[in-house]
Amino acid sequence: MIRKRRSRLALRAYLFLAPFLALFSFIVIYPIVLGVRLSLYGQRGARMWYVGFLNYRNIFTDARFWEAFKIPLFLLLVQVPLMIFLAILIAFVYERVPRKEAAIYRFIHYLPYTIPAIVAGIVWSYIFSDSMSPFRPLLDALGMMGVRILNREHVPLVLLVIILWEFTGYTAFVVFSSLLAIPREYAEQAQIDGATFWQTAFFIKLPLIRGVIVMLFIFNIIGALQVFNEPWMLQTLVVLPPNYTPAMYIYNSAFAYGRFTYAIAMGLVLASITFLISLYVLRTASRQLLVQR
Amino acid sequence: MKKVVLGLLVVFLLASVALAADDMYPEYKGEPVTLTMWAWTSNEDYSIREFEKVYPNIKVQWENFGVHYEKAQTAIAAGEGLPDVLMIEYTYAPEFMDLGAFVPINKWLPREKFVALFGEPALNWCALDDNIYGTPQDSGAISLFYRKDIFDKHGFAAPQTWAEFAEQARKLRQADPNLNYATVPLGWALWWAGLVWEAGGKLFDYKDGKWYIDFTNPVAEKVFSFWGELIDEGTIKIEQWWSPDWYNSLNVGKTAAVIIGCWFAEWLRYNAPESEGLWRVAIPPQWDPANPHNGMIGGSGFYVTAHSKNPEAAAIFVMWLNSHPESLKCLHKYSNLPVMVSTRYEEVLDEVAGPDQFFGGQNIVETLWEAHKLVDTSYVALPILTNVDQALGLLLQDYVDGKIKKFADILPMWEEAVVKAIKELGYDNVVVGELP
Repeated sequence: MIRKRRSRLALRAYLFLAPFLALFSFIVIYPIVLGVRLSLYGQRGARMWYVGFLNYRNIFTDARFWEAFKIPLFLLLVQVPLMIFLAILIAFVYERVPRKEAAIYRFIHYLPYTIPAIVAGIVWSYIFSDSMSPFRPLLDALGMMGVRILNREHVPLVLLVIILWEFTGYTAFVVFSSLLAIPREYAEQAQIDGATFWQTAFFIKLPLIRGVIVMLFIFNIIGALQVFNEPWMLQTLVVLPPNYTPAMYIYNSAFAYGRFTYAIAMGLVLASITFLISLYVLRTASRQLLVQR
Repeated sequence: MKKVVLGLLVVFLLASVALAADDMYPEYKGEPVTLTMWAWTSNEDYSIREFEKVYPNIKVQWENFGVHYEKAQTAIAAGEGLPDVLMIEYTYAPEFMDLGAFVPINKWLPREKFVALFGEPALNWCALDDNIYGTPQDSGAISLFYRKDIFDKHGFAAPQTWAEFAEQARKLRQADPNLNYATVPLGWALWWAGLVWEAGGKLFDYKDGKWYIDFTNPVAEKVFSFWGELIDEGTIKIEQWWSPDWYNSLNVGKTAAVIIGCWFAEWLRYNAPESEGLWRVAIPPQWDPANPHNGMIGGSGFYVTAHSKNPEAAAIFVMWLNSHPESLKCLHKYSNLPVMVSTRYEEVLDEVAGPDQFFGGQNIVETLWEAHKLVDTSYVALPILTNVDQALGLLLQDYVDGKIKKFADILPMWEEAVVKAIKELGYDNVVVGELP
């Protein structure tokens, strides 16, 4: 009797889940399966033939693919920690300044995130252009007439500036929202015990939102590994190698060279690398959390 | 007797050509059909309307996606989704032919008819291995666009020779360091290959199933060391063309001259409106003024794709679109295209020529036509032009960044990169170091 009811309940549950499951398998699972299958094929034009794991074997010896990780690695080691640190500082400042002013700052800081990356890229390409850059008069005044603003060596720094501009405000917003969830008593107690604002912030509040910070790290690591829009837009100013970032190499392989199946295989390798790095960060972070407790 | 027969034959042939002018376009007897076409030019619909009047059973649906190469690559790999007719630059056409994107239309447009309508050189842009895939639309004949106000101020006339060009460039750099006499593009293989072509040479070609690559031939070396000298000494600057800086410099008069394909007249009109009346056009400077020669930068053809369900109708359409005087007139009038490749262009020349307001009243059609007539050689571009282009862009950026010291060194390095790329892509029919 009970069993029957249970199975009926399960059936009902699946019925409710059905719309989601159908969409999920069609939009997420099916493309992954199809992608894995296609990655086992060689392709030229419309011709396709089965090659087994040849694409993957080629990827491991394709120096251009691995060279492309220089930029993500730079972002991973510099941009991600720097941005999250800045965002935490900014979030604490939001707490410190009067509520009304804080709202204005939050709005201003959040704005860049609402601008599509492509549009932002166009604007930035004007800012760094040689003749129309707002820095030009300044450079000319310093006697740097005709000096190029952007060459290829500067691109990582420019990327750093653009990405920080785009996402720091948003990240600060996320940190700030999670700070709001901390019961006020904790901070009050600490202050009664004689802790300063910044001591309370870093030693009481920050450990309490560790989970959110770990999540932000993982999201930004994924973003760094898949960086595409920003360097792509800068190409109107400076010639970048087709394999400047892994995502650009994948894009060029597919759409400029027409090597779609190879691009798919690279995409899957990139996804696996992203997954492994995220997993590693999550593991080490949660282990530390456990030790602390 | 023999002479009489020959004479009669010639008369007969001439008469039949004249009579056949409109019979050149086959009748369409098939089912009513709607063709699709991708093209990034403007106002192709006027020609389409004229075509549909003559062929009421063929309708053409034109779509403009801008430059659609990536979209086309996707459709080719998918095995479906290409339109019936695809616009492609001549230099990129072999890449698409090689991928099997097009279908031969010799059945409706045999070789003799193609040559009669579009001339022999165009075969290299529209055919491979005797398979004709499409028809040529506009010319990319190299022309010199220059600012008359700047030239007048410094007492220059349009340079007749490259030596004169270099002399004027040096004078202007001295007189006004903020002004560029001309700039060269950072990359854009078409441009550099075009200048070698103008000098009577080429970098690559195709013959009897083999791809030939020889970048370091004497003509190419001459062209690269000419520019190399001007660039190394700082007279001529390398600039990212089609960038905000470049648009700005043309609009506000920071660049005195541009060497580029003749379709640029149309581009200038719409993108540098503030400089109306100040530009003029001339045939490009020559290496040997006694034997003038020209090459092309750009220019595009319309090809019938392998996905077309009705290649017959598509073949008739591309043939008519790019050679019939009615269509040429429309393309000229509404799209401002230099549709000079067709041999029938001469029939409309007088009608489309005339003073042009934007060019200070100059009859630019005449000048561009003169420039186009000097293009009497041609070659087949490599089927990996995307890679050829990227390789050059990287080397020029290296030069700009100071990693390569001598500009002329780029030529052999470019060749090396291209040879490496074509071998990596699995071509085994490549001959390096010679040209057919």
